[in-house]
Amino acid sequence: MKECFCIIPCNGLDKSLGVITRNVALKLLEKDPDMELVCPVLLNSGDKKYDEILKMNKIIVIDGCITRCATKLIEQRDLKPLIRIFIPDMSKIFKIKPSKELILIEQGQELAELISNYILENLKSSKEELRLVSRKFGDIECFDVTVDKYYFRVPKEGYYFNENDCWIKPEEKNALMGITDYLQNAAGDILFVDLPELNSEIEQFEDVGSFESSKTILQLISPGSGKVIAINKELEKNPEFINQDSYGKGWFVEIELKDFEEDLELLMDGPNYFEYMKEKIMKEKNHFDQIKSEINVE
Amino acid sequence: MSESYNADKETFMGVPRKEIPWWPTIDYDKCDFCMECDKFCPHNVFVKREEENKKLIVKNPYNCVVFCRACAKICAPDALKFPEKRDITKLIKKLRAEKKED
Repeated sequence: MKECFCIIPCNGLDKSLGVITRNVALKLLEKDPDMELVCPVLLNSGDKKYDEILKMNKIIVIDGCITRCATKLIEQRDLKPLIRIFIPDMSKIFKIKPSKELILIEQGQELAELISNYILENLKSSKEELRLVSRKFGDIECFDVTVDKYYFRVPKEGYYFNENDCWIKPEEKNALMGITDYLQNAAGDILFVDLPELNSEIEQFEDVGSFESSKTILQLISPGSGKVIAINKELEKNPEFINQDSYGKGWFVEIELKDFEEDLELLMDGPNYFEYMKEKIMKEKNHFDQIKSEINVE
Repeated sequence: MSESYNADKETFMGVPRKEIPWWPTIDYDKCDFCMECDKFCPHNVFVKREEENKKLIVKNPYNCVVFCRACAKICAPDALKFPEKRDITKLIKKLRAEKKED
């Protein structure tokens, strides 16, 4: 069987964003002979037509809205996409606000055209060798606490934290950054990671990337300021590293520090963050217990 | 239903939450009331009002997590705006310094 790229648009017919996904898929089909269209409706019906090509080939998922129907279809099959497109993101990148029409007029068509070119461009680079940066982490000595079925760790030394539950680990002039066990537990199984561009300058508390689980989208809010000098590309293939080892191989980015002394002013050390985190967990637990008891009373 | 947090008691980095003006502002020229932000936000920041002209408002601004902008990220018409993070960081530092002096 010939190698191809499987395109799965959500094809939502009742929203213009969904209609755009269909048009992007059709344009890709037209432009690249290596594309194979997967009908989400047939796929959802449980038909076996696509079983083999989906397993054997790379997948491009195109979602129109946050319901992410196309993504869900492949998650149900334990597959992971090579490229995932979310139309609202594209709309912002290309600064085109699609109108609400269900039959696309100029703007929607233009956006679909730009997105299809964007995908083709990305496929080119994904064929090239990706910059992989792997690091070794020894045993990290941690404080830990278990609440219900959740297990939380906080490194005792070497890491600093902001109140948005992200960490920074300075090493001379550079620092690694990532999210804490609290945030990975709150997100649940992380399925996608969106990392910043290399060489971008970031300020403290700026968003440095986002990650998605089946429950939610969350952001890494930078504990430090500086220039992005490395990104953990492995997370794109193995986002579960964040859940498995949030302080080690689940790191997001490395920055060249600008002024860590100043960053530190608004950061906590391990023991302080551990206390802060426990308090936050208990507050949430009490809140949910209260809701549960209110529901039971009703 | 109870509110997520008691905003009067909440602090962020040692500063009372109510002194930090961080929450989304809805641009009603852009908002198409798709309600994705309300569906997404776990902190009840927004509230829907089916009978009103403005079918969505920011009801509980102090429930909003300082520096979180995730709702703006998923907003297709780009109708949610937040203050500049740099300004908020400056303000927090200033308020913390004032508190130290007291």
